[in-house]
Amino acid sequence: MFEYMNYNIAPWGHEIIIYFFLIGAAGMTFVYAAAPSVFGNVFGGAARSMEPFQRTGLIVSLVLLLICGPLLIMDLGQPQRFLYPIIHFHWTSPLSWGSLFLPLFGLCIVGFLFGHMKGHTGLMRLTGILGSLLALSMPLYTGLDLMVHQTRELWSNATIPLLFVILSMSSGTAVVAVIQLLRGQLDARASEFLHAFLYLSLGVTFALFLAEWVVLTYGSEEKQQAWTLINESFAFHYWGLTFLVGILIPLLLVAIPRLGRDPRVLTMAAVMSAVGAYTFREVLIYAGQLTQIYY
Amino acid sequence: MPVGLQAEPSLGVPGKKRWAMVIDLRRCIHCDNPPCVRNCPTEATYKHEDGFVLQRYDRCIACRTCIAACPYNARHVLPKNRDRVRIGGVVDKCTFCNHRVEQGQVPACVQTCLGRSRIFGDLNDPNSEVSRLVARHKTVVLKPDKGTRPQVYYIKPDRAQTEQQYSSPQSYAARADAEAFYRHNRGSKFFSGVL
Repeated sequence: MFEYMNYNIAPWGHEIIIYFFLIGAAGMTFVYAAAPSVFGNVFGGAARSMEPFQRTGLIVSLVLLLICGPLLIMDLGQPQRFLYPIIHFHWTSPLSWGSLFLPLFGLCIVGFLFGHMKGHTGLMRLTGILGSLLALSMPLYTGLDLMVHQTRELWSNATIPLLFVILSMSSGTAVVAVIQLLRGQLDARASEFLHAFLYLSLGVTFALFLAEWVVLTYGSEEKQQAWTLINESFAFHYWGLTFLVGILIPLLLVAIPRLGRDPRVLTMAAVMSAVGAYTFREVLIYAGQLTQIYY
Repeated sequence: MPVGLQAEPSLGVPGKKRWAMVIDLRRCIHCDNPPCVRNCPTEATYKHEDGFVLQRYDRCIACRTCIAACPYNARHVLPKNRDRVRIGGVVDKCTFCNHRVEQGQVPACVQTCLGRSRIFGDLNDPNSEVSRLVARHKTVVLKPDKGTRPQVYYIKPDRAQTEQQYSSPQSYAARADAEAFYRHNRGSKFFSGVL
């Protein structure tokens, strides 16, 4: 009798959340690695502090991408048809655009790496600019993928893609900070550079978190239901890991001028923000599906 | 009290069964503005010009975006290994039995419903039964606020149906059934021929 379906399933599980997190981190790691070639001459050459990170960053970005691709493919019910979103491209679906941009992003990483190894600055600049745009499109499309679901009010709002881009900035900063700290290359200039981005991302995340709070508590019945679900089923993840560990504590750490620029404190704050970046996505994706399930 | 009930359920004698029925409305309602179609990355789901929302099984990658998009929980993933049917491991849904409709038949659920509670037809044909029912009765659709423009209409029960009072059969179908019933039984079996 129940051959056809489980009663009220949630279609997207942890694979999608891990994918969303990793692809965001991969994208922003590439942006950091490409920054000296793309933005090297602006803001007093601040991006040049990332030069020691370039090759490692590109490899890490490529490795993350190579994890993401198979993860996404294995999550499909028909993994052998993974090229269909490109072959049968559907322009109204963000997933189609994402499937197209994902390999192009990979090509840009390889192209940039090749240019870096051969010292070909023209190629580096071209692939750096294109790759950075594609890197930003990775978290952007994952957010859009949720945003276009007009019937799920927790997802269908204008802040979700922006939130996902900002969260990827946090997770990318964490990747860079950890690697550079371990390699002993997180000097004052690099710390200053990462500090600015982490401060910005945490500030915007904090603002969006508050905006989400207001929208959900003052929203329609479905939004209020989502708020109840979040507080009943994901309270620890939302308030503990996302708000406290992922936003508030790191924001306070980076807000203290000297302490926030200390390489170890900065790295710790970045890692905490990455934890928040993961759990924020997790709560939003799960709760967004559960509001429909309890319909 | 369970959510959605208008009154406390009568649970009857403790320890005994209390048969009840819940009508689950989770079926595809073939929206005119279907979110599943827009979000499908491979156009495996499409809107047929006759109004069906259909699925190309050979194109579906089972990314389950359409399941996430559907506000009615009308979609599901078929099991991969099925005994008698080759199609599996893809997303499926009600098709309004378009294969039957194209041959001039009604959907299987309409044909098999003993109470004739499901009526199917062309809404653009003013003489069809569905057109008349939709025109004559107050109807509702599910979650109209979602902007999906559903094509399954539910006739709202009016007082004549929910309260105990005399009323003649309301719908064309019910009246036709009643007339056929009386005609068939007149003078022979029913109440010893009184009717």
